[in-house]
Amino acid sequence: MFKRKLKALDYIDRDKINANDPQHFRKLVVWLEDQKIRHYKIEDRKDIRDINSTSWPETFKRYCEDVACPITTQPVDQLEWLIGFAIKLEFEDNYKKYQPITGKSLKDMNKPVAPNIKSSNPLDNLDFHSAEFKNGIEELRKLLCIPRHSDHLVTLQACSKIVCMRLNAETLLNPKSIVLKGKEFPILEAELGFNMGDPVLNNAAKILRLLYIQDLRDLQTRINETIVSVQNITANPRTDTKLGKVGR
Amino acid sequence: MVVRQYQEELKYLEKINDYCWRIKKGFQPNMNVEGIFYVNNTLERLMLEELRNSCRPGMVGGFLPGVKQIANVAALPGIVGRSVGLPDVHSGYGFAIGNMAAFDMNDPKSIVSPGGVGFDINCGVRLLRTNLFEKDVQPIKEQLAQSMFDHIPVGVGSKGIIPMNARDLEEALEMGMDWSLREGYIWAEDKEHCEEYGRMLNADPSKVSMRAKKRGLPQLGTLGAGNHYAEIQVVEEIYDKWAASKMGIEDKGQVCVMIHSGSRGFGHQVATDALVQMEKAMKRDNIETNDRQLACAHIHSTEGQDYLKSMAAAANFAWVNRSSMTFLSRQAFAKQFHMSPDDLDMHVIYDVSHNIAKVEEHIVDGKQKTLLVHRKGSTRAFPPHHPLIPVDYQLTGQPVLIGGTMGTCSYVLTGTEEGMKETFGSTCHGAGRALSRAKARRNLDYKDVLAKLEQSGISIRVASPNLVMEEAPESYKNVTDVVNTCHAAGISRKCIKLRPIAVIKG
Repeated sequence: MFKRKLKALDYIDRDKINANDPQHFRKLVVWLEDQKIRHYKIEDRKDIRDINSTSWPETFKRYCEDVACPITTQPVDQLEWLIGFAIKLEFEDNYKKYQPITGKSLKDMNKPVAPNIKSSNPLDNLDFHSAEFKNGIEELRKLLCIPRHSDHLVTLQACSKIVCMRLNAETLLNPKSIVLKGKEFPILEAELGFNMGDPVLNNAAKILRLLYIQDLRDLQTRINETIVSVQNITANPRTDTKLGKVGR
Repeated sequence: MVVRQYQEELKYLEKINDYCWRIKKGFQPNMNVEGIFYVNNTLERLMLEELRNSCRPGMVGGFLPGVKQIANVAALPGIVGRSVGLPDVHSGYGFAIGNMAAFDMNDPKSIVSPGGVGFDINCGVRLLRTNLFEKDVQPIKEQLAQSMFDHIPVGVGSKGIIPMNARDLEEALEMGMDWSLREGYIWAEDKEHCEEYGRMLNADPSKVSMRAKKRGLPQLGTLGAGNHYAEIQVVEEIYDKWAASKMGIEDKGQVCVMIHSGSRGFGHQVATDALVQMEKAMKRDNIETNDRQLACAHIHSTEGQDYLKSMAAAANFAWVNRSSMTFLSRQAFAKQFHMSPDDLDMHVIYDVSHNIAKVEEHIVDGKQKTLLVHRKGSTRAFPPHHPLIPVDYQLTGQPVLIGGTMGTCSYVLTGTEEGMKETFGSTCHGAGRALSRAKARRNLDYKDVLAKLEQSGISIRVASPNLVMEEAPESYKNVTDVVNTCHAAGISRKCIKLRPIAVIKG
């Protein structure tokens, strides 16, 4: 479970480690103290190295207190903290070596050298707050009949949602698949269940309720689809009219 | 037991408005809360007459009158709010049928009572729609009725046609409608449109006696006898166009199928077993009640928990039962119309339970509380936007299915905010008996009853004609009175009225 972190620390048995096995657990703690944390002087490590002792859990508890581990819930959580602590110490010892390694430098390292085309995303060079950009959104918004939001970026998000959901290649071929079918319902006359004293607020609450119901419907439909797919495997309805008996 | 003159008794009853009466404390001893019942003028007469008869000297034996039973329930430990009598209320075992009562889960004294659920655990109503209209069905009505009768075994001692062994039953008890789904008897959408999604998660089949399982096994997929039935109905009236359209009901004349059934002998045995256990628990824990029939146990006691777990298993049994009959009805229709049930759009509109106890969250005196709500002959009716109702009904409120008596109308109502506040989201369940079974047998002749149904153009198939008088409309209160009272009192809203054209009955 801490494989990546242990790999960073070069722990040899990292692939076999099972933190729920007391032997594995204790060995790892001793290794961390001996090799990385080195909180105790060598001669003071006697107790913690005695991994077969019945009082080891006590020793471990004291050790956690000594290194000021803030976790008190589960030994496994404490172990995870100790590993993180070891990594922190390791980094501090060699920070000059590690500092230049960033996500970007790593990517460059792994990149095949030959087709070194500079990725030039045109969006990176856009000024999202220029008048030109805002006007563009305004045009798009009008075209898609979306109401305006005071923040033009929110409006853009709405446009993107519409385009992704309803104007992708698949739905354009088969528009019926996305258009919600259903019958009208006088939602504004329906009971809300509570009254906030302001008709505008009440209407807003009703709209939120509708959105929630739509989410719930999607969820229920997915549940039903799952049931049906399981039924395809398990279903075998049988009847046997010979068993039937009409009563008196 | 207090003995008072009728006029004295009336002093404890107060009419709050045209549809509602209050039962004051003191009407019965030790009442923790007040009682309330909903009636219109006609139902009020029936209700008070029952009380007057019981005040006559020499009236002993039989059930107590409904009003007294509502008041006795108000004296049970841990009850909150009020003990509520719905318009179809009539005497039953311990609790009146048509009585709802809620108990605070966090009060250690609170009780659970099998009498507050009834013997037919999770008896309920399911409504299927079709895209057929009356004109499509009329020409082959008789064949269709016969086909339904052939598919769904009915009557006392009937046996189902879905092969099941003991292991299947154990799984069905635990899984409820999920079992029917897994085996492919029903559609995924059926589960969506069912109270509790057709499965009570706390069901524990190991708490159910061998005897109950033996009784239940051959009965799965059978309708039973008594007031249970399957009806082919047509839409006669639409009161709420929008809500109806959410349920897939477009126009008058549209054909529906209503199934009214429960947990058969299985639920009955679970209730009987629990009553024996609870009598012991009452003695041990010193629980006192006004009526021996109100046997109960603390919710958190072993007996209370065992009952709730076995009741949940019985509830699951009933859902599997109604699901099996849904499957069989779809088959019957598909055969007659040579179309798949899918093409006939035979979706479940909803499935309600009217004999059940459930843990629910309610607001009591402005505070949210976890309650154990007993509904006996009372249907849950949650308002729009309640999280426990299906997404399709979030705007309309939960559909409430009210089965009439054999040959009379049925209704679909919807839940309201008002009902949530006044009756813990509960409303009526059907017509409610007016004559006792014995009295009905004495006063009516089955031939007359059948002839009358035929005259009104209703095809009927029965397993036991000589029991039909018990279920004749004359033996019941008028369902329209009951429904109109609920509508006028605001505890639920009328949506659709249905009229039967064919009846299958035990």
